Amino acid sequence: MEEPRIGVYVCWCGTNISKMVDVEAVTNEVKALPNVTIAKNYKYMCSDPGQDLIIKDIKLHNLNRVVVAACSPRIHELTFRTACEKAGINPYLFEMANVREQDSWVHTDRTEATNKAIDLVVAAIRRVRYHEPLQKRFVNVNPATLIIGGGISGLTAALEIANAGKQVYLVEKSDQLGGQVKKFDLTFPHLSSAQQMIRPIVQRVDNHPNISVFLETEIREVTGYIGNFKTAISVNGGDPVELEFGNIIAAVGLKPFNPEVISEYNYKEFPDVITSFEFEEKLLAGRILTVYGKEPRNVAIIHCVGSRNKKYHEYCSRVCCMAALKYVHQVRAALPSANIFEIYADMRAYGKGHEEFYALTTHRQIMFLMYDQQKKLPVINQADRSDNCNMIIEMDELLSGQSIEVPVDMVILMVNMEAQENVKQVVRAIGVSLCGNQFFIEKHPKLDPVATTTGGVYIIGTCQGPKDIPDSVAQARAAAARILGAIAQGSVPIEVTTASVNELLCCGCQTCIGVCPYKAISYDENNKVSIVNEILCKGCGTCGSACPAGAIISKHFTDLQILSEIEGVMSMS
Amino acid sequence: MDFRPKIVAFLCNWCAYTGADLAGTSRIHYAPNIRIIRIMCSGRIEPTFILKAFQQGADGVLVCGCHPGDCHYQEGNYKCLRRFKLLQKFTRQMGIEKDRLRLEWISASEGKQFAELVNDMTKTLLSMGPSKVKSSLEVEHLNV
Repeated sequence: MEEPRIGVYVCWCGTNISKMVDVEAVTNEVKALPNVTIAKNYKYMCSDPGQDLIIKDIKLHNLNRVVVAACSPRIHELTFRTACEKAGINPYLFEMANVREQDSWVHTDRTEATNKAIDLVVAAIRRVRYHEPLQKRFVNVNPATLIIGGGISGLTAALEIANAGKQVYLVEKSDQLGGQVKKFDLTFPHLSSAQQMIRPIVQRVDNHPNISVFLETEIREVTGYIGNFKTAISVNGGDPVELEFGNIIAAVGLKPFNPEVISEYNYKEFPDVITSFEFEEKLLAGRILTVYGKEPRNVAIIHCVGSRNKKYHEYCSRVCCMAALKYVHQVRAALPSANIFEIYADMRAYGKGHEEFYALTTHRQIMFLMYDQQKKLPVINQADRSDNCNMIIEMDELLSGQSIEVPVDMVILMVNMEAQENVKQVVRAIGVSLCGNQFFIEKHPKLDPVATTTGGVYIIGTCQGPKDIPDSVAQARAAAARILGAIAQGSVPIEVTTASVNELLCCGCQTCIGVCPYKAISYDENNKVSIVNEILCKGCGTCGSACPAGAIISKHFTDLQILSEIEGVMSMS
Repeated sequence: MDFRPKIVAFLCNWCAYTGADLAGTSRIHYAPNIRIIRIMCSGRIEPTFILKAFQQGADGVLVCGCHPGDCHYQEGNYKCLRRFKLLQKFTRQMGIEKDRLRLEWISASEGKQFAELVNDMTKTLLSMGPSKVKSSLEVEHLNV
């Protein structure tokens, strides 16, 4: 290894760092350390002049390592790696010390914060000495895409990709395309027909030359990696068909919450207590009738059924408030003289045109009644003969502070959206993770909401979290754009900080094979050693810590690098 | 001089390190005696790293990963937990008190919890006094 020549740069970040950390003192403290060729500080290292400073120094002083003490590496590591690359040194010969998020912003004693900054910079200097150049790697992308789920999200993504001339395999577990939208009569807030919207989409997908549809089919196992996946599906119980594709979109949708578990609502007990999905069936059939074949004189719509309640689901399903208001318009149109009660916990009208829709609904002669979901749910009871109605809802009305009884003949429960039952099977097959609510976890909640941490696997629609049709469609088109981008490039970069095996040290115990979550390690029978498939490896490093022989190298997180960092943070005390 | 306990912390990149960053962006203040080392996954943590930190004079070592079920690499945190339990038995036999070595789950949204954790651990270590690992190693070294 050539002698390290390290350039150290301490960022002021305006006053963000310099106010709490004495950047001059940090610079002076590390200047004379072994292998430090040059140490400087500057107002904004991430700015163009800041980066130019590094680039010029690399060339002028023949630097072969760079340390920047600034914000979190999660923010600007890539910026400085790119600067290193521009100056002709490998981007991995760089290390960052986090002296803003984890120092100047969280401490109040300038001396303590400065001492901490010194420790962190020393650690980065010690670590970077052992950094090794890593080469970017690419794999080719198979231009076909697998889409799991034939609802509005899956269909939209399929058309987007197929219209660009690329092959799509669309797999749907039920016997028809169209998903939940196909079960709806109207959509909110424009009260336009869901059927007129979804049917032509299904037709276009069915007739598209670039889309192969597989109904009543489930994906059990997917092998391979970004750009090169494989699965075997059996169609109509026949011989398995092998499919090969470069990218995957999961669009497995949602399941309505079953309100049977909420005893207050007596859902199974009373046949005229129905879910919003069952009410859509009545609307599609064109008649709103009770189980007795009569038009209800009193209709109640209860919000947040199974939502925003720790006993069931803590999260908000986002669409039910507007769907409930949609029903007000539909009931009012069908039953001009009926009493309509909106029994809500909170009214959420956050979307485009939603608040206006809410305002419009208040002119439809309905009664809004509020309940406190955290204290007491409304209770649906059987009415007495003399009550002249089918059921009575007992509730504590929050705004008036009164305990009231509401006469009803039909109750619509606005049920929560929950994850599909087979979601775990899908998750296992495509190698992604679920959050606590069983929704798929996106790569970044704000900046990368349709990608996952598994390369080439995207998540769209309600399997990522409750959402309405426009949001589902937007995600579908976003994922399609990402995939078409990768296909257009022809190849995609893959993780370089992977594991590798030093075959001279490997004793062939295969411990690493058992701990790898990605099946990236296999056993070479001829040489009696483990080998890492560096395309499958995601670089978690768990094999490295399990290897009893110390034969596995976790690139960029080697034992030597981490141990040097530990020595570094402790060296000044 | 007053005793200032030094904590070496190993934080996984995806949850705990991000949570610690969030404490920063939220300007939640905590004790300045912690030194954070970033690793990709808590599953990468080797006993050697922890022992090295004690050997170098750390008064406490903190390991933080994603909450169970939330691991970015599916199950690295469970592997970390298993190894940790085993290691803790060993470190206690070495005379390192249990509270000097902690494993906690911190999600990317738990900046506040991270700050509270650091303060809590600092408080415990203050009451315990300095770790004797480093000095005892130095004595043994002299005897050789």
